[in-house]
Amino acid sequence: MNKKGSYYRYLNRIGWLYVTPAMALYCVFMLYPILSSLYLVTRKWKGFSNTFYGIGNFIRMGQDSVFWKALGNNFLFMAIQIPIMVGLALILAVILNQGIRKFRGTLRVIYFLPCVTSLVAYSVLFRILMQTNGLFNNMMLNAHLIAQPIGWLNDPFWAKATIIIALTWRWTGYNMVFFLVGLQSIDTEIFEAAEVDGASKWRQLISITLPLLVPVLLFSMVTSTSGTMQLFDEPNILTNQGGPANATMSAALYIYRQAFVLNSDFGYATALSYVIVVISGIFAFIQIRLLGGKDK
Amino acid sequence: MKRIVMGLMVALAIVVFVPGTMVAAGAKTVTVWYWDVNFNGYSMKQAAAVYNKTHPDVTIDIVEIPQGIDNKIEAGLQAGGSGLPDIALFQDFIIEKFVQNYPGIFVDLKAAGVDYSKFAQYKVGPMTDKGKIYGIPFDTGSTGFWLRTDFLKQAGLNPDNYQKNLTWKQITDLGVTVKAKTGKPLIAYDSTNIDFVRIMVQSAGAQFFKKDGSLDLRTPAMKQALTTLKDLNDKGLVYVTEGWNNWISAFNNGDTAGFLQALWIIGTLKSKPDNAGKWMVIPTPLLSGVPGAQNASNNGGSSWYVFSGSKNKDIAVDFLKSTWASTAPDALEFYNTILKGAGAMGTYLPSRNGSNYTAKDEFFYKNQAVYADFAKWMEKVPVMMYTPNYVAMTTAVQNANLLMLKGELKTVDDVIAHAEQEYKQTTGQ
Amino acid sequence: MSSVRSRSFSRIFLWIFLLAGAFISIFPFFWMIVGTTLNPNDVVRGIIVPGKEFGLNLEKATKNYNLVLFFYNSLKIAVITVVLGVLVNALAAFGFEKYRSKAREKIFAILLLTLIIPQIAIVIPLFRLVSYFKLVNNHLAIILPSVMSVFIIFFMRQNFKMFPTEIMEAARVDGAGELRIFTRIVFPTMKASFASAGIYMFLGQWNSYLWPLMTILTDAKKTLPIAMSSMMYAYTVEYGGLMIIVCVSVLPVLILFLSMQRQFVAGLLGSIK
Repeated sequence: MNKKGSYYRYLNRIGWLYVTPAMALYCVFMLYPILSSLYLVTRKWKGFSNTFYGIGNFIRMGQDSVFWKALGNNFLFMAIQIPIMVGLALILAVILNQGIRKFRGTLRVIYFLPCVTSLVAYSVLFRILMQTNGLFNNMMLNAHLIAQPIGWLNDPFWAKATIIIALTWRWTGYNMVFFLVGLQSIDTEIFEAAEVDGASKWRQLISITLPLLVPVLLFSMVTSTSGTMQLFDEPNILTNQGGPANATMSAALYIYRQAFVLNSDFGYATALSYVIVVISGIFAFIQIRLLGGKDK
Repeated sequence: MKRIVMGLMVALAIVVFVPGTMVAAGAKTVTVWYWDVNFNGYSMKQAAAVYNKTHPDVTIDIVEIPQGIDNKIEAGLQAGGSGLPDIALFQDFIIEKFVQNYPGIFVDLKAAGVDYSKFAQYKVGPMTDKGKIYGIPFDTGSTGFWLRTDFLKQAGLNPDNYQKNLTWKQITDLGVTVKAKTGKPLIAYDSTNIDFVRIMVQSAGAQFFKKDGSLDLRTPAMKQALTTLKDLNDKGLVYVTEGWNNWISAFNNGDTAGFLQALWIIGTLKSKPDNAGKWMVIPTPLLSGVPGAQNASNNGGSSWYVFSGSKNKDIAVDFLKSTWASTAPDALEFYNTILKGAGAMGTYLPSRNGSNYTAKDEFFYKNQAVYADFAKWMEKVPVMMYTPNYVAMTTAVQNANLLMLKGELKTVDDVIAHAEQEYKQTTGQ
Repeated sequence: MSSVRSRSFSRIFLWIFLLAGAFISIFPFFWMIVGTTLNPNDVVRGIIVPGKEFGLNLEKATKNYNLVLFFYNSLKIAVITVVLGVLVNALAAFGFEKYRSKAREKIFAILLLTLIIPQIAIVIPLFRLVSYFKLVNNHLAIILPSVMSVFIIFFMRQNFKMFPTEIMEAARVDGAGELRIFTRIVFPTMKASFASAGIYMFLGQWNSYLWPLMTILTDAKKTLPIAMSSMMYAYTVEYGGLMIIVCVSVLPVLILFLSMQRQFVAGLLGSIK
């Protein structure tokens, strides 16, 4: 009995030993920043010095329409880009899973390729491609699809479209692979039975495939949502610091700009980042609700 | 698995055994940050060469920081000086922010014996604080309107008739003719900076801020500048680009017949040798109807500063003093070299007698003596007030301008109101 | 008859759709490679026929921009992070999963809770912290905060759930020490999971931008993403040289993907199983 107890204590010590390095790093690089932000958020910066500002940063935030516009852009990108991307990815996944027999593997690899580019690399590529006198406009002009070059990067409306196009290029294949994994886990006997019952392919898709894919679809949307919430690289590089005229400014980019470009105001930037934390918390709550909260 | 382990081993081997190609900073190395290879970087290299003749043991390490140099410096200052160089180049418009918000970061060069009476006085204003003067003035941003003479000729116009003081009205008429005949818009306009409007506003001697540092966009000069820009745009004469390098490629590749900019753009023009003989520059057009307006303005201009946290600050100060602020023949000849080599017109008055100041330049239409022209135009440049919030102001104004060009803001008053609002919100004032 | 025709018609339509998608996916890669051989002007104008300036562009990328150093910096940071990170996080995950205790379960719950905090909310206080330690413009500032990853701990713990505890007990009976169990039994049997975690961490570090953008100041410390973005906004952009750097940043990941597709996808998709 005693021996077993001491053995348990030994294993428990091993457990602590294994966990300690990670926990030490966690305390220094995660917990401490979180706690110190509680202090930062009450300060107002000016150069080297900072002074107590109370809830002043939050009051200022309430009046900062550029920030709310930036946050609005995040939601706009979510609302438009995610459905387009998920729809495309779903179509591709279904076709690759059932629609064709040849070149499945090759096409899967090809569609996934954009994922190997870093966000910076593809933002740079798209910035060059989408310039007013760039390749994309020239191709469209030559094909007589447009009469005038489109201001993909300098028109407030088209710049938003550019971000959406770029995001879709980068992430569709990634989501498609998600869905393929989901589709492959569906038992093929269900389809065989449906075939026997005379259900059309279309009917099978609506009544069998989609309902079974709902968890994967939800999961992919949740991932994309939190990714879009943190959008930074694309508006900073592809559309030049959230331009034109803040049309593609994202919340994360605006926070960065407040801390490192405009005023070096770490207190105000921290206050703004709290908004992102709250929104992410709400999303996480919804996610747990939707996905049943069980261990995935 | 073997592949993974192999891959990791190879990667680790590279990491461990490839020696860092980093230059080892010796005891007598002075590091300098700048942002444009063809311009201020080129000039600093010439200065370093002059200094090395007498001080061969000092290495001047000249490092390009192309993106957000002032942001990097500010981050370094916030981090207690980590990673900062010995000398850095600052735009004149940003320096007040550093001098006021970060007291004591620069070496007082007046105390170190620099004779500021020999520099153009408008440069000294922004770098002065409480009797101390911190920078070595570098270049002037005397401006002009640049025109492609070949497009003018194609449109049936004689370029020689336009080499004189014009008003914006006359320039607009010229643009309409060129556009009708050649299809080329008159002006390449970069939507990501404020240069175009700033040049116009400053040509009338106006400011963006009041004396107390508060924003002042409701000036006659600002309103007239925006009205002019809107009119040019309504007539289809403005070619909007989305960034500095895109703007450069627009006029260097002949997408437009001209643009408005300071003389330091010469190096960039010359980077496209096939355009030799095509460009000419005329005086900045007159913002007529605004009191104090003249056919001259200034844009940009920067100065060198020594950080007081630098380990080699004595060498750094000596380097700047004996090249950029010296009447020694070598130093004056260096000013002469960078004028021709990069279009860098120094603001050190004794250097004004160099041969290149009057020389003809074969790159320009009819070998125009561009430097003599710019030197003439720059004589009346007023002292600008910048304040620590200058960047927030330029961002707000350039954003509002773009919305006007894209038709989202209809009137000049709307544009100003929009800019004022964004300025207020991003600075929290 | 007509149904056969309409079926073959929809087949053609299907393939047009698939091939268009494939073209769009691949084209930027093709164009990026062609771009390395063009002069800067032709890159912007969108010439898609290879030019002759690869040598010149390479010279610019290596002389003006020190491509080799950027690559080395990126690789060094990523490899050190992966090696330390996989070790630290896998050990922690193993400790949480196979040596359960109530106290550690509580800690794990706190970890999961902070998983929802996005990076942008951490980086500002973190910048103050690394400033305090004088680590700005030092690669340690990039490596150290990325070693511990709650997500990787979570991911590895999920994987360790599938490792039968009976094997550990059998090994203990045979007299194996606890660390030996981890290194000699768990690691070899779970290597695919370790590889996925490693790839995930590698990609995260190789591609990271926001944090290095804040902490890297000088050329000598730049990683590939920082180098690319500053080149893109240089006063004079060397587009051809930039394309070479883009290729260099993409190629290692491409090779990694093509040679280890399964682990790569598992690493990217993370928790989906």
